[in-house]
Amino acid sequence: MAVRPIGAEIELTQPARAARRDSFWTVTRRFVRKKPLGAAGGALMLVMVLTAIFADVLQTHDPIATDASATLAHPSEAHWLGTDHLGRDIYSRIVHGARVSLIVGLGSTLLGSVLGGIIGLLSGYAGGKTDLITQRLLDILQGLPLLVLALVMSASLGPSVQNVIIAISIPIVPRAARVIRASVLSIREMQYVEAARALGLRHLRIAFRHVLPNTMGPFIVLMTAQLGAAVLVEAALSFLGLGVPEPYPSWGRMLSVSAAEYAQKAPHLVLFPGLAISLAVFGSNLFGDALRDTLDPRLRGS
Amino acid sequence: MKTYIAQRLAIAVLTLFGMSVVIFVLLRMAPGDIVDVLFSAAGYVNPSEKQAILRELGMDKPYWQQYVQWITQIFHGDLGKSYRYDLPAWQIIRPLLPVTIELAILSTIVAIVLGVPTGIVSAVRQDSLLDYTMRVFSLAGLSMPSFWLGMVIILVLVSWLAWIPPLTYVKPTENFWLHCVQFLLPSLAVGYRSSALIMRITRSAMLEVLREDYIRTARAKGQGQRAVVWRHALKNAVLPVVTVVGIEFAFLIGGLVVTETVFNLPGVARFLVEAILWRDYPIVQNLVMFIAIVVILSNLTVDLLYGVLDPRVRYA
Amino acid sequence: MRPRLLLLVAPVVVAAAAVLAAGTPAVSQAPKTGGVLTVAQREETPQGFAIHETSTVSTTWPAMPCLSNLVLFNPAKQQESTDTVIGELAEKWSWQDNYRNLVFFLRKGVKWHDGQPFTSKDVKFTFDMLREAPDAQGKLRINPRKDWYANVVNVEAPDPFTVIFHLKRPQPSLLLMLASGYTPIYAAHVPPAQYRTSCVGTGPFKLKEWRKGEFIEYVKNPDYFVKGRPYLDGIRYVIIKERGTRVAALQAGQVQVAFPGDTSKTTAEQLKSAVPKMVITRAAENVNENVIMNTKKPPFDNLKIRLAVAHAIDRRSLNQAVHQGGAAIGVSMPSRPWGVWGPPESVVNAMPGYGKPADEKAKARKLMAEAGFGPDKPVKVEIVTRAIAVYVDMASFIVNELKQIGIEATLKQIETAQWHAMATRGEYQIGANLTGIGIDDPDANYYENFACNSPRNYTFYCNEQIAALVDKQSAEIDAKKRLAIVLDIQKKLEDEGARPTLDWRVDNFAHWPQVKNLIPHNNFYNYGRMQDVWLDK
Repeated sequence: MAVRPIGAEIELTQPARAARRDSFWTVTRRFVRKKPLGAAGGALMLVMVLTAIFADVLQTHDPIATDASATLAHPSEAHWLGTDHLGRDIYSRIVHGARVSLIVGLGSTLLGSVLGGIIGLLSGYAGGKTDLITQRLLDILQGLPLLVLALVMSASLGPSVQNVIIAISIPIVPRAARVIRASVLSIREMQYVEAARALGLRHLRIAFRHVLPNTMGPFIVLMTAQLGAAVLVEAALSFLGLGVPEPYPSWGRMLSVSAAEYAQKAPHLVLFPGLAISLAVFGSNLFGDALRDTLDPRLRGS
Repeated sequence: MKTYIAQRLAIAVLTLFGMSVVIFVLLRMAPGDIVDVLFSAAGYVNPSEKQAILRELGMDKPYWQQYVQWITQIFHGDLGKSYRYDLPAWQIIRPLLPVTIELAILSTIVAIVLGVPTGIVSAVRQDSLLDYTMRVFSLAGLSMPSFWLGMVIILVLVSWLAWIPPLTYVKPTENFWLHCVQFLLPSLAVGYRSSALIMRITRSAMLEVLREDYIRTARAKGQGQRAVVWRHALKNAVLPVVTVVGIEFAFLIGGLVVTETVFNLPGVARFLVEAILWRDYPIVQNLVMFIAIVVILSNLTVDLLYGVLDPRVRYA
Repeated sequence: MRPRLLLLVAPVVVAAAAVLAAGTPAVSQAPKTGGVLTVAQREETPQGFAIHETSTVSTTWPAMPCLSNLVLFNPAKQQESTDTVIGELAEKWSWQDNYRNLVFFLRKGVKWHDGQPFTSKDVKFTFDMLREAPDAQGKLRINPRKDWYANVVNVEAPDPFTVIFHLKRPQPSLLLMLASGYTPIYAAHVPPAQYRTSCVGTGPFKLKEWRKGEFIEYVKNPDYFVKGRPYLDGIRYVIIKERGTRVAALQAGQVQVAFPGDTSKTTAEQLKSAVPKMVITRAAENVNENVIMNTKKPPFDNLKIRLAVAHAIDRRSLNQAVHQGGAAIGVSMPSRPWGVWGPPESVVNAMPGYGKPADEKAKARKLMAEAGFGPDKPVKVEIVTRAIAVYVDMASFIVNELKQIGIEATLKQIETAQWHAMATRGEYQIGANLTGIGIDDPDANYYENFACNSPRNYTFYCNEQIAALVDKQSAEIDAKKRLAIVLDIQKKLEDEGARPTLDWRVDNFAHWPQVKNLIPHNNFYNYGRMQDVWLDK
C-alpha cells in the first residue's frame, strides 16, 4: 500500500444529497452550532471576500497616492492604520490588498483545481494504462515543494498578476487530480454509473454528467484548503520580490523591503499586513477543517 | 517486499528523470537574454562579448545538447560550473548543506514536540476549552507566513534587547552555545508552522483509536485514563503521525526558503532563491534535483516504515 | 629613465610624496592598531573581485581593500577633485606635452599578495586590456568602461618603474578616472578571469576567505607598501540580503559599518534614536535620478512635450515624498556641496521645472497645448522602471505629476536584469531611471550618458553642437574656462529636455563610533580602500 498525502484519503460519501434536502439556512445554523470554529473561519473568509469586492467603497484614501506631508504616520483618525514611507494609507492598501490576494488565491486555486480536476476525472474514469501514466506524470510535479516550484515558475515567467496565478496554480494541479481521482475510483463502480454505462451513454457524458457532480464535496474541501496555501505562497513570492509587482498593493509586497527597514519607527508597517495575511489564511484553514469534517464522516468528530 | 522496494525505486528514478526535464524546460522559458540577466551588474553587455560568453558557458549549443550534457555530468558526479561564481557547483553547494539539514531536523523536532502532545491532549479533552485553545493556537501557526514570524522575532529582539542572533554561520565546534542560539529561533519559526499538520493528524488519529472497542474495554476494565492513552492509544496513533512527518519534509523546505532569508542563514534554501534570481542554471538545476531526491526518498522511507510499523499493511 | 624624458618631466612634476598618510584624522587621537572591522554588504559581490567586469558598488566596495590603483582620491577628503588625487602605486606623476602624455613614476619594492614583484608591466597589462589594444595580453569577459580610455592611443612602459599614457588630445580628466575605485591594477601574471573567484592584489588587505553568500574576510597585508598601514588586523564583509535584517544588524552592533548608499534619511533618524552615539554622515553617492525619454519615438521626439515633462515634475516635492527631503536638487552635474561642476542654486532655479510649482505646471500645460494636446486630448504613454523599490517609488510619483498636465502614464516594471538591455535598445517611450557615475567629472558623465553613440545614451539624444562643447571642455586645461563650458552644456541640456535630472541621491552613511577615519566621499565608488581606518576599543 502506498501512502498518499492526506488529501488523497478524502473520499466521497454522498454529502451533497443531505445538503439538498435542508434549506441553506438550516444547514448554516447547524454548521454554526456544531462547528463554531469553522463558522468563525467562514465569517473571516466572508469578510475578506466582501472587502475585496467593495475595496473601492471601503477605502479612505487612494491606495496608490503618495503624500509627502504624512510619511510613516502612526495610526490616527486620518489614517486608521497609519501610512507607509511614501505616505500611502495602510488601511486602504490592505483593503485593496485583499483584492489582489483573493484574485491570486482564488484564481490560482480555481485554475489549478479545475485543471487537476479534469485530469483526475478523466484519468480515474479511464483507468488502466492512461491512469498509470498520468499518475507518474503527476508524481513529477508533486515531488517538489509548492514554494520551490512556484519560485522557479514565477522567475521564469516574469512578475505579473497572471504569471503569479499560473506559477501558484501548477503545483496545485497534481494535488487536485489526486483527490478527484480517488473519488472517481470509488464512484465509478457504483450502481448508477454502471447503469448509465449499460444504457450505452458515452464515456465523456458519463464522466461529466454523473461522476463529476458527486466529486464536488472533496473538491470544495480541497479548494478551501488550497486557498489559504495560495495566499501564503503569494505573500512569500512577493516578499522575495517575485510576486505581484508594484503599484498593486499586495500584502506580501507591503512586508518586503521598506517595511522591515522602518519597522522600529513605524511598527504598523509590519504588523497590519502580516495580520491581514494571517487572518485570511486562518479563516480559510478553520473553515476548510470544519468543512472537511462535515463532508467526510470518516473524520467526523475530529 | 524486495520487489516492492525495487518497484518503488524504479518509479522514483523515472520521476526524477521527468523532473529534470521539467526543471530544465522551465528555466529556459525565462524571458530576456540570458547573458544580459547574468551580467546585469556590468550594466551593458555588447553583442560581441555576448557571443563569446555564450560559447564560454556552453549555452550556444542547442537545448537538447545542453540537457544531455547536464544529465551525463550528473552521472559522472559532476554538477557543472556555476555561471555566477565561475567555480564548480558542488564546491558552492556543499558547505550550505549542513546548515539546511540541521535546520530541517531541528524544525521537525520542534514540530513533533509541539504537535504530538497538543494533538493528544486535544483529542483526550475533545471539545473542551483546552481543545479549542490548542487547535486555534496550532492553526494560527499554519496561517502565519513564516517570514513574517521571523521578521517580528528579529524586530522584537533588536528593539528590546538591542541584540540579534549571529548573521554568519557559527560552527558548533567554534562556539556551541552561540550555535544553538543561532538555530533555535529559526527552527522555532519554521517548526511552529509545521506543528499544525502534525497536531491535526495526531488528534484525529487519537480520536479514531479512542473510539475503538479495545480501548473502551480497557477503560471499562478500570485502567486509568492516562494508562489507556499511553499504552494503547498512542501506540496505534503513531502510524499516521509518522506519515505526516515524512510529508512534512517537503512542506518544511518551502518554509526554510524565506526563513533562511530573514535570519540570514547561509543554507541551501536561501541560496536557491539567489541562484534563481541570477539564472545560475547549474546551481538551480542541481539544487532543485537535490530537493526532489530528498522529498522522494523521505516519502519512500515513510512508506517502508509504515510497513514495518503496521504488520497489517502488505506490500503487493 | 631616459634623459629626454627627465627633461620634460622637470617643470610640471606634481609633488605627491606625502602619499596616503596625507590628511589628518577627523578625531585628533593617535590611531590604534588591531581589531577586525565588520561591514555590511547588501548582496553577494557580483563577479567576485573582478572590478573591471562590473559596474556596481556591490563589487567595488568589498573588493577595494585587496587592490591598489596608480592614483587614488585621498581617503581623508570628502569632496573629490583633481586636488585630492594622491599617489598609490604611482609615487609621482606628471602631465607632459601640454596634457597629451601622462607619465607615472612607480613605487619600488611593491609585491603582489602572491610574492611576485609589481612593475610597469602590470600597469601596461591592465590598461591595454581595458582599452582593448590589438596586442593586449589580457582580455576581459565584459568591459563596461572601455570608453574611459577612448582617448588613449598607447600605454608605454619604458622601464620597470615608468609608465607613459599617450593621448590623442589633451584630457585632464583621465587622471581622475585613474583615481576611481573602478580602476585598480590587475597583476599581469594572473589571468583576469581569476579575479572573479580570488584576489591577487597589492592592497592593504589580503583575501582570507570568501564564503559564498555569507561573508568575505580579509587579513592585514604585512607587506603593504605604506609603512605602518593598515591599522586593522582584518575586515569582514557580512552579506545580508534582507534590508530589514541589515538595519537590525547595524543597530545590534553585529556589523559596525553600513553599506554605502543604504541608509535613507528616515533609517538614519531611526538608528540615531535607538543608538544615539551612532555616527551618521551625509554624503553624496554621485548617483542621480532622472527621466529618460526616447527622442526617437513619438511623443517624446517632440521637444515641446519633453520640456512639458521637465516642467511638470516638481523636484522639491519629489524629494520630500520619496526621500523625506534627504536628496539634493541639481541638474546633470551635482552642485556644491555635493559636487564641483553643477551651477549654483539661483541658476538651477531658473531652469525648466525648478521654479514655483504652480507656474511650472502652467508652463507645462501651455507647452502641451502648443503640441496639440490638452485635458480632453491627453497623451497616453507607458512609463517603464526597474522592478526595485527605489525606482518604483520615484516612478509612481512621476505618474502622478504627469497626470496633472494631461499625460496619462501607465507604470510598467522591467525586471532588473533586463533593464539595461531594454533601455539600450530603446524599447520604451519614457522611463524613470537611476544613473551612477564613477567620478564627479563631466567627461565621465557626458561621454557615457549623452554622447551620440554611447550604449548608455538611453534617450538617443544627439546634438552636434553639444557634442562639440563636450569635446572642447574635455580638452580644456584651464579649470575656470572649463567650468564655464560645462555650465553652458548643463543649461543647454536642460533647455533641450535631453534627460531631465530629478535629484542627486544623498546617503546617510552610518557607522559605530569606535570606527575611526572612515570618511565617506561625495561618491560611493571610491572610498573603500580602508587602509587608514582604525578601531578605538
